[in-house]
Amino acid sequence: MSDAKIKKFRVGVASCGVAAGADAVLELLSARATVPVEGTGCLGHCYAEPLVEAVLEDGKSVFYGNVKADEKSIENILNLGEEGRFEVPALRKAIEKVKVLALAGRINPTDFDDYVAHGGYAGLRKALTMRPEEVVNEVKISGLRGRGGGGFPTGNKWSFLAAKQADEKIVICNADEGDPGAFMDRSLMESAPHQVLEGMLIAAHATGATKLFIYCRAEYPMAIKHLKIAIDQIYEHKLNHVDGRELEIIVKEGAGAFVCGEETALIASLEGGRGTPRFRPPFPTDKGWKGYPTMINNVETFGNVPLILNEGGAKFAEVGTEGSKGTKLFALAGDLKYPGLVEVPMGTTIAQIVFDIGGADRDSVKAVQTGGPSGGCIPAELFDTPVDYDSLKKLGAIMGSGGMIVIGRNRCMVETARYFLSFTHRESCGKCTFCRVGTTRMFEILERITAGKGTEEDLALLEELGPKVRAGSLCGLGQTAPNPVLATLRYYRHEYEAHVKDHCCEALECKALVDLFLDQSKCVKCKLCIKSCPVGAISDNFVIDNAKCTRCNSCAAVCPKHAIRRVKKGSN
Amino acid sequence: MSIEFFLDGRAVSAEPGQTILEVATANGFKIPTLCRENRISRTTSCFVCVVRDKKSGRFLPSCSACPAPGQEIEVTSPEVLDMRRTALNLLLSEHTGDCEAPCTLACPAHASVEEYVRAGRKGNFLESLKIIKKRIPLPMSIGRVCPRFCEKECRRNVYGKPVAINEFKRLAADLFYDEYMEELPPETGKRVAIVGGGPAGLSAAYYLRLEGVAVTIFEAMPKAGGMIRYGIPEYRLPKSAVLDRELEHFTKLGVQFEFGRKLGDNLSLDELKQKFDAVVIAIGCWKASGMRCEGEELVTQGIDFLRGVIENDCHAANPGKVIVVGGGNTAMDCVRTSVRLGSGDVNCFYRRTEAEMPAEKIEIAEAREEGVKFHFLVAPVKVEKRGDKLVMTCRRMELGEPDASGRRKPVEIPGSDYEVEADTIIAAIGQSAAIPAGVPVSRFRTVEVQDGTLRIADNVYAAGDCVSGAATVVEGVASGRKAALEIVTALTGKEFPPEPTINVSRGKWQDLKKEDLVFLRDNVSEADREKLDFIPIEERKSTFHEVTSTMPKERVMKEGERCIECSCTDKHDCKLRSHAECAGCKTDAIKGGKLPVTYDTRHPLIIQDRGKCIRCGVCVKICKEVVNKTLLSPKKRGFYTYVGTAFDKGFPASCGECGECINACPVGALDWRNKE
Repeated sequence: MSDAKIKKFRVGVASCGVAAGADAVLELLSARATVPVEGTGCLGHCYAEPLVEAVLEDGKSVFYGNVKADEKSIENILNLGEEGRFEVPALRKAIEKVKVLALAGRINPTDFDDYVAHGGYAGLRKALTMRPEEVVNEVKISGLRGRGGGGFPTGNKWSFLAAKQADEKIVICNADEGDPGAFMDRSLMESAPHQVLEGMLIAAHATGATKLFIYCRAEYPMAIKHLKIAIDQIYEHKLNHVDGRELEIIVKEGAGAFVCGEETALIASLEGGRGTPRFRPPFPTDKGWKGYPTMINNVETFGNVPLILNEGGAKFAEVGTEGSKGTKLFALAGDLKYPGLVEVPMGTTIAQIVFDIGGADRDSVKAVQTGGPSGGCIPAELFDTPVDYDSLKKLGAIMGSGGMIVIGRNRCMVETARYFLSFTHRESCGKCTFCRVGTTRMFEILERITAGKGTEEDLALLEELGPKVRAGSLCGLGQTAPNPVLATLRYYRHEYEAHVKDHCCEALECKALVDLFLDQSKCVKCKLCIKSCPVGAISDNFVIDNAKCTRCNSCAAVCPKHAIRRVKKGSN
Repeated sequence: MSIEFFLDGRAVSAEPGQTILEVATANGFKIPTLCRENRISRTTSCFVCVVRDKKSGRFLPSCSACPAPGQEIEVTSPEVLDMRRTALNLLLSEHTGDCEAPCTLACPAHASVEEYVRAGRKGNFLESLKIIKKRIPLPMSIGRVCPRFCEKECRRNVYGKPVAINEFKRLAADLFYDEYMEELPPETGKRVAIVGGGPAGLSAAYYLRLEGVAVTIFEAMPKAGGMIRYGIPEYRLPKSAVLDRELEHFTKLGVQFEFGRKLGDNLSLDELKQKFDAVVIAIGCWKASGMRCEGEELVTQGIDFLRGVIENDCHAANPGKVIVVGGGNTAMDCVRTSVRLGSGDVNCFYRRTEAEMPAEKIEIAEAREEGVKFHFLVAPVKVEKRGDKLVMTCRRMELGEPDASGRRKPVEIPGSDYEVEADTIIAAIGQSAAIPAGVPVSRFRTVEVQDGTLRIADNVYAAGDCVSGAATVVEGVASGRKAALEIVTALTGKEFPPEPTINVSRGKWQDLKKEDLVFLRDNVSEADREKLDFIPIEERKSTFHEVTSTMPKERVMKEGERCIECSCTDKHDCKLRSHAECAGCKTDAIKGGKLPVTYDTRHPLIIQDRGKCIRCGVCVKICKEVVNKTLLSPKKRGFYTYVGTAFDKGFPASCGECGECINACPVGALDWRNKE
């Protein structure tokens, strides 16, 4: 029990929190609490959701993690009980540098005044006192590079659009975050929608834009809702009146095609057409939406812009490395203890992110995949690599938009590559021959290899097709789709060869290449395995019939003595 | 202000906005493309037109990329050609369809089966005959004796029996053979000598005459026809009623015959080479293979036996109890001839089982109907004469591992010997060519010709069985035609387009289901195959009358309704096929899954066959940008992308059938349905 007085509660009700049950917590806490309870965005600690923050009168806060929506838990929180308290792990605190996400989880995302009270729109106000070219210059000085994955210098892009003379100039925010396992943009839009919009308004001033679009995937309903509320508030406060122009801000919901994250496909989709890329040049800044000069930046890029205006480009550039300035958001997922959203300075090493922040076990990590299905894997031996655009590229991986998937030693790299190709070959728009057919053929080869039916010719064909698919595709999807295969082939060729030559999956993940083995010496005859088996593959005398077994692993999971394990097919 | 740049090192200039493809084409470069259609905005999808920027090594779609000043572009470097080939191979790997109908591909003569069946179906058998004779100059004979390679691959096998294709040849020839007279071109003045008047020689003569070349056939026997006269029994191919009538036509075409002239005997190759512009050796396979066992000299050779009966107008002594050793068509001819000569006890001995017999199934069945007894898994070891009887010692066999031919090899069972008695033992083991001195011999004991051609050396060519080893009549005529075309090219310079090597196939019919087939025609008949009429069994056993009669016209026409018409509507002008051909692609270079067969024939005139679509999007844009309608649009994503109509309801009434999409489609994915 504490004597401190509670000023208010904040409950993280971004999508991640809601998924963990935060809505019910918010409801129950609101019913019981005598102080205000507000919903807020995401603090990035997915593993601890639902998260409740008790803001004290003295300005301090007490956090509760994994809160259950029951009377006991709520009572504990209301009494500032010791139980279930949450603290940001110290290692993470030391490394993380929260700038872009500073307001996420700190404000009510749908409350305009709350945003302003926390310094919101100061950047825009400052920008409006500057001449457009000064703003562009400030962004150039900041060294900000596109956060969507391309890494193109943002200031340069702005200057291209600024230089155009046209009746209409378009600025588009790319919020079609499609990588599996990536949720940086969603979190930012849900938690601080005004921050993104402020960045766009600054861009509109700097470039002379007349129309602003946010192309957001329809799978992000909360982000869309928050953006629309924020836009209404902007209209209400006439913040869209920039340099005498009344800007229209439109949220366009994308139908969930991965390829629409590519700028020319995105524009086609925005125009009402099928989301397929086209040949560049002409680049969108020359000929974009309906033929007008158009500039596209990613959500996180826009999220950085108010900071640059507030602190100045030079100050912004103090953080980061020579070629990559500022901080970067990463969505950590996979085989680690603390999945979630982190913000670290550019140049932080992968080891720091994966082990120190993510809490992954050093001995059990094999590699990390950056850039989602477009990226490549980086083996644990190279985790000292600093995270910046150029270092990652050298390793055959990419920064990507910030997805970071930790791959444990119990994962098969061929299967990992197969998984990513299963995504890209379905998400290809189907236009370019190399992408449509090439990725499908590569996927089929990976299916064969993981099924133990691959040949050495298959490996050769993978190595032949990979670079050709890269070279013979119009857009980023096809140009990067072979990356997971080529990177795993580069670092884990032995695993491919073991599958092909010895029909052996070292990680014992590929079902077709493993058997289940019950170690009689450890077995205590509890019969849990027999009960759990969905196909009746375990006999009354505790022998597994591998001809019947579907390798679902239910038995191994329930065995209290860990007597059941996967072994190489035919080895027992 | 024009832009100067380089194509394969050659300085060229482009107007602003011109693409590399446009400039290259204007400068005489031939860059293949499937998706570029000048009347619409660029689609940039097929990537067949790639070129490479020499400096960066980047591949560029030339249909869309504009040159930069000073840029060096590789148009035909090995890397560029390889990239194009891969693009085409990838497109072929997802392409479903039959470029050419399987029947035509199976036919050694590559006859346009679908076309002549179609003409016949419509009752136009004269047209049918014209189409047949483009590849098969002996339709009356082949229409009776062909083992029907075409029917074995007919897609109707997927559900039921194949179309009775051969009946079209037989009927068309029977009806119009005398009436149809080819138009001969003016004489070229070239003269060719053909040694051997069998199927290959006759075929070579026919196609040489059609090209205005004078032909003389030197034939060792007193009459022309070769093995079809002296090897095939009367009951399968009547000599005076059919063969003589068929061969008369060759004289009408101006072919000269010299009979009783045998190479190396009373005919000199050197002399022919001097006197004629070219010589074709088509001497067939007239040497019987021995039984390779003790006492084989007591045995009658199958081909000699058959020839003897034929030369004697089907009159010969009753051979008594007969044993024929062998399992091929000659063996069947021998047993059935023996039956007709009055033997009541005819036996066929074969060292493997019925499944391995090379003879046609129908021949085996008909022999059995006529009372022939079959003995399998036995081989002769010894033949001896005991009194007026022959005694053959036989050894039982069992099947072992498959041999080079894929058939399981017979293995002797030790101690299983037994004896059988017979009046006549006939060996029908095999035949080979008796090659005269001065003609090169290959290691297969056939005439040696130069790789991929039928040329021996200088102006001497060879064709038929003597090159291939004993084969069928249709293979003989195919070979004869090939030799003729090679000679015409050599003598006159006239080129003949080679058979396309790019033939995408839906696969073997054994692997297909009815749903995998595309039914282009409405109302493909579901009826059973029309059956041949046989003469009564007693007549078959006691006379040499032709066993079957020619099917009446109405029934052949009805049979034609069963043809599915498998070949692609666009087979003659498919750009994918022609570019793939030029690029040296192979249809199976890259293997992988294909989409299930989906096609749309709801429109009475138009077919949309998704399996053939290369997703270039040209049809979509033509309809939208040129026709000003938007009836087509791409659907789904990735490998499953297809072009469809609104709500997949088919072409709406607003479709004016202008045919723009069809004309623009580089392949057969959109086409007129009616094949002519």
